[in-house]
Amino acid sequence: MDSMTMLLGTLLIPFVSALLITIFFRRCGNAAAAISVTAAFLVAFLSIYFLYSWDGLPIHPYVSWFDLGGLTVNMGFLVDKNAAIMLLVVGFVAFWIQLFSIGYMKEDASKGRYFAGLSIFTFSMMGIILADNLIMLFVFWELVGFSSYALIVHYKDTEEASAASKKAFIVNRVGDFGFLVGIVFTYWHFGTVDLQALSLIVKINPSLVSSLIAFLLMCGFLGKSAQFPLQVWLPDAMAGPTPVSALIHAATMVAAGIYFLTRIFFLIPHDILQLILWLGVLMAIYAGFCALAQNDIKRILAYSTLSQLGYMAAAVGLGYPGLALFHLSTHAAFKALLFLGAGSVINALHHEQNIFKMGGLVRRMPLTTITFAIGLLALCGVIFTSGYFSKDAIIESSFFVDKNICILLFFAAFLTSLYMGRLFWIAFFGAPNSINAEDAKESGFFSTLPLIILSICSLIAGYTVLWPEQLSAAFLTELTDVHHLVENASMTKIFLIYGSLTWILGLGISYFFYGCGAQKDRLAELMPKLFSFLRSKLWFDEIYDFYVARIQQRVANLLNFIDVVIISGLFVRGSAGIIGVLSLGGRSLHVGSLHVYVYWFLAGLLLFSAFAFGWF
Amino acid sequence: MTHLNPFLLQLSIAFPFVVGLTMFMAGGTKKLSLKCLSFLGFAVPCLIAIWLFFQYQMAEKIDYSYAFFSNLPTGLQQFGISLKLGLNGISLPLYLLAGIVGLAAGLYAINSIAERLHLYLGLLLIMYSGLMGTFASIDVFFFYFFHELALIPTFIMIGIWGGRGRRGTAMELTIYLTLGAMLSLAGLIAIYAVSDIHSFDLITIKNYLAQSPLSYTLQKNIFGLLLFGFGILISLFPFHSWAPKGYTASPTSVAMLHAGVLKKFGLYGLIQIAAPLLPSGLGHWAYLLAILALCNIIIIGLVTMAQRDLKQMVAYSSVMHMGYAFLGIVSASVLGLGGAVLLMFAHGLSVALLFLLGTMVYHRTESYDMNSLGGLSQKAPVLCGFFVAAVFASIGLPGFANFWAEIAIFLGLWQFAPWMLYPAIAGVVISAIYGLRAIANIFFGQPSPQFKERFNQSSIQDISIKEKIPVFILLIALLVVGFWPRSITQPINQTLLDNKVEAILTAQIGVTN
Repeated sequence: MDSMTMLLGTLLIPFVSALLITIFFRRCGNAAAAISVTAAFLVAFLSIYFLYSWDGLPIHPYVSWFDLGGLTVNMGFLVDKNAAIMLLVVGFVAFWIQLFSIGYMKEDASKGRYFAGLSIFTFSMMGIILADNLIMLFVFWELVGFSSYALIVHYKDTEEASAASKKAFIVNRVGDFGFLVGIVFTYWHFGTVDLQALSLIVKINPSLVSSLIAFLLMCGFLGKSAQFPLQVWLPDAMAGPTPVSALIHAATMVAAGIYFLTRIFFLIPHDILQLILWLGVLMAIYAGFCALAQNDIKRILAYSTLSQLGYMAAAVGLGYPGLALFHLSTHAAFKALLFLGAGSVINALHHEQNIFKMGGLVRRMPLTTITFAIGLLALCGVIFTSGYFSKDAIIESSFFVDKNICILLFFAAFLTSLYMGRLFWIAFFGAPNSINAEDAKESGFFSTLPLIILSICSLIAGYTVLWPEQLSAAFLTELTDVHHLVENASMTKIFLIYGSLTWILGLGISYFFYGCGAQKDRLAELMPKLFSFLRSKLWFDEIYDFYVARIQQRVANLLNFIDVVIISGLFVRGSAGIIGVLSLGGRSLHVGSLHVYVYWFLAGLLLFSAFAFGWF
Repeated sequence: MTHLNPFLLQLSIAFPFVVGLTMFMAGGTKKLSLKCLSFLGFAVPCLIAIWLFFQYQMAEKIDYSYAFFSNLPTGLQQFGISLKLGLNGISLPLYLLAGIVGLAAGLYAINSIAERLHLYLGLLLIMYSGLMGTFASIDVFFFYFFHELALIPTFIMIGIWGGRGRRGTAMELTIYLTLGAMLSLAGLIAIYAVSDIHSFDLITIKNYLAQSPLSYTLQKNIFGLLLFGFGILISLFPFHSWAPKGYTASPTSVAMLHAGVLKKFGLYGLIQIAAPLLPSGLGHWAYLLAILALCNIIIIGLVTMAQRDLKQMVAYSSVMHMGYAFLGIVSASVLGLGGAVLLMFAHGLSVALLFLLGTMVYHRTESYDMNSLGGLSQKAPVLCGFFVAAVFASIGLPGFANFWAEIAIFLGLWQFAPWMLYPAIAGVVISAIYGLRAIANIFFGQPSPQFKERFNQSSIQDISIKEKIPVFILLIALLVVGFWPRSITQPINQTLLDNKVEAILTAQIGVTN
C-alpha cells in the first residue's frame, strides 16, 4: 500500500460506511454498529500504519475539484507534522469511543442513525485534518458541523435536543460567516487558498500578512472551538448521547478549531495572536467559574472542555502552536476518558446526570471510578500524568511572555481541580443519594475496555520519548525550548511547587468544603448570591435570547409587515386598484345611455372646432 | 449515434408537446394507460437531457460553443426568425435542470389525485415542452416563444387545480408576469430593431454586435428594459410579491416547475443574451442591481424568518436565493457568471425538492402552519431525513451543489465590491436560522397541542416508494454535483472562457466608467 491509498482509505472508509448504513442497514442497528466500528478500526489502523511508514516529509497530492474562471479548488491532502499528530489522535480516540458506543447505545431504537452519524463525522473530521487548502477545509468544517447537528439531535423527541442542535449549528454558522469572508479575502489578497502556497508566499513576503484576514479566519475557530463570545452552544450540546459528547464535543471536533489555527499560524500577525491569547485565558477562567455552579455531570465536563480549549488557544496566542497540539492530544485522551466514565455512570444510573443524586459509586463501580480518577488527575495536571506535561508547559511558557497571564493560568488550573474535586467527591464517594445510585452496576466489557485503554494513554501520553519521532516533531522543539527557558531561569522547582499547589489546594478545598457524597451544594446554601451569579454564566444566553426574540424576530416581523402591506398591498394591489378605478370611469362612458353620448358628441364637437379655429 | 443528437434535441421538445396534446383528447381512456403514456412523455426528455449532457464534451461545436446545432425553417425567414436549436455551456445545465425537475414533477403529478388528471398532465407536459425549448433555443424569438408556451399553462393550472385563493392569485400572477414578459419582449425587439441586421438569431446578433457595439445610451436603455422585465420574472426585490402568493396557491408540480425551472428563464436571459450583447448596459445598472440583490438577500431573508407557513417560507427563501444569482451577474466575471449558472441549477433542484417535501408534510399533517406541528419524525423518520437533506442543500451545506455556486459567487463578488461580501454572506446565517427552525418545528420535539389529536389518532404513514422516487431523482442530482462539481462546471467554464465573456464585459464596462 502506498501512502496515497492509505490516506484515501482513512477518508473514504467512514464515508462508505455511512452510505452503507443509511441505504441498507438503517433498521438493523447491530449491523450498523458492526460496520461503523469496523470502519473506525480500519481508519485507526490505516492512520497508525501510515504514520509508521511515513518519513516525516510533507506529502501533498491533489486533483482538481472545481474550476471556474481563474479559480481552481483542489481536492488534496497536505500531511505535515501537525496533520500527522491529529490523524493519530482522531483515528485512535474515535475507534475507542465507537467501541464504547456499542455498550452505551445497546438499548437505543435508532442505532442505525447514530452510527451513520458517527461515520459521517469521522469522514468529515479526516477531511479537515487532511485538507490542503482553505476551501476544502471549509467544506469539511461545515460537514463536521452538520454531523454534530445530526448527533446532538439524536434524542429528537425532546425539546432540549431539538433546541440544542439548532443552536449549535447556527452559532457555528455565525463563526463561519467570518471564516468564509476571510477565505474570499485570502484568495484575492494572496492569490491562492492552498496552505502550502500561502506559507511560501508569506515566507517570501511577510508584510502581506493582514490583521483583518487573520481576524476573519479566526472567527471560524471561535465558533467551532466554542470560544468567546460563541461559547454558548457547547454546554447545550450535551443533550446528545454521551459518547458523542466525548468524541465530538470534547476530544476532536472542538479541538479542530485549535488545529485550524496551527494550520494557518503563519497567517496570524502579532495583534491577533494577542487577541487569541486573551480570549483563551479569559475562557479558561470563565469556564472554571461556570463549572462550579453546575450540577449536571456532563455540563461540568463541558465547561472543563471550554476551559482546556482556552489553554490551547492561549498556547497558540503565546506563539507555541506545537504546545497547543501537545495539550490537544493529551486532552483528547483524558477528556474522552472522563466523558466515557461519565457515560458509564449515566448508563448505570438509568440516565441520571445530577451529581447530587449519585454518591458512593466507588463501591459499586470500582473500575469506572479508578479510570475516572486517572482522567481527573491528568486533567488537574498532577505530576507524572500526561496533563502535567502538556498543561504546565503552556503555563511555563506564558511566564516568559507575560507574568500576569501566568498567574491567571495558574488560577484557572486551581479552578479546574476545584470543580473536578467537587464532582469527584460528591458523585463517587459517601453514601448513595438515590435509588438509581444504589442499584448501580459496573458496565460491560465493551464499555470498560475503552476506559482502561484511554486511562493508560492519559497516564503515559505525556512522556515524549514514547512518541514516534515523526509525530513528536510537531511539539518537541517548542517543548525543549520552554524547558531550556525554565532551566536557564532556574525555576524548575518553583513551577513544580506552584503547579502541585494548584491541584493539592483545589482537590483539598473541594474535599473539605463539599464533603463526600453531599446531597446539596454547600456553596449555594452559604452564599446563594454568589452561586446564582456563577450559575448565570454572565447572562450570555439571556442576552442572545433577548436579541433573537426581541430584536431579530421583531425586525423580521416588521419587514414582513412592510412586505405584505406596502410592497404587495399598496404598490401592487394599489396600482391594480388605480387601473381598476380608471377602467370603471372609462366603462361608465360607454354604458349605452343616449344622454351621455349626446354630451360626449357635443364636447367632441367643441374640441374639434377649437382646433379648427386655432384657439389653442 | 452522434449525428442523431440534434434530432434528439428536437425530439425532447416535440415529444412532450405531442404527448400533452394527446392527453387532452384522451379523457375517456383508462387511468393506467393515461399514466403510462404521460410517464413516457416525462421520462423521454429527461433521458435525452442526461444523454446530451454527457455527449456535450465530445460533440462538435459551432460559434459560442453551441453543440447539437440544428436549423429548421419556419417560413418567417424574412423577419430573421428560424427555429435554431443547440446547447452551449450556459444553457446545458439549465436544459438538464429542466429535464430532471420536469421528470420529478411529472412523476409526482402522475401519482397525485388531481381531478381531470388527463388535462392536468397534458398541461404539465406542454409546460415541460416549453421549458425544454426555452433553454435549447438559439433563436431569441423562440426563446421567448417557448417561455410563453410554458408560462400560460401555469396560469391555467393554478386557476383550476390551485389551493386557497387560486382565482385571485392566478389573475395577479398572470398580469404581473405578463407585464414582466412584455417589458423583456420590448427589450428583445429593441435589440432586433437597432442592430441593423434584423435577425433574431443569437449567434448572428452576437457576432454583429461584437463588431459594432451599440451606443452607450441604447445599451443602457435596452438593458434597463430587459433587467426590469426579467427582474419581475425572477422576483427581483421589490418586484417579488407575486412569488410567495403564487407558489402558495400553486399545485405542487407547478410550483416545482415554476420556481425550479421557469423562473430561471429571466436569469438565463440576462446571462446568455443581455450581458454579452449589452455589456455597457450591465455596467450602468450593475450597482443598482447589486443593491437590490442585497435587499433580496437581507430583507427577504428576514421576511422568510418571520413566516409561519411552510410553503410561504419556501417561496420566500427561493426569492431570497435569487439575490445570489444577481450578485453573480453583477460581478461580470467568469467566476460570478459561472456561479450564477451553477446556482440556477442547484437552486432549481433544491427548491423543487422543498416544495415536493412540503406537500408531503402537508398530506400527513393537513397543515402548513409550522408552529402548530412538531414531533413528525416519530411517525415519518425517513421523510424527516429527506427534509433535513433538502433544507441543508438549500442553505448551502457543502456536499450539495448549492455550496459551490455560492462560494463561486462570493469569490466573484469581491472583484465588484468587497464590502458587499459582508451582507451577502450574512445571508448564509439567515438561511440557516429559518431552515433549521423549520426542521425543528415540524419534525423534532413533541407534537404541539393543535396537532396532538391528529398525531395520536390517525395513522400517519412514512414516505411511500412512489413518493420517494421523485425525491431521489432530485437529491441524487444535487449530491452528484455537490461531491463532484467539475462534472458541471467544466462545460460552463469552457463556454464562458471560449466566448471571452469576461474580456468583453470588462473592456466595455471599463470604457464607459
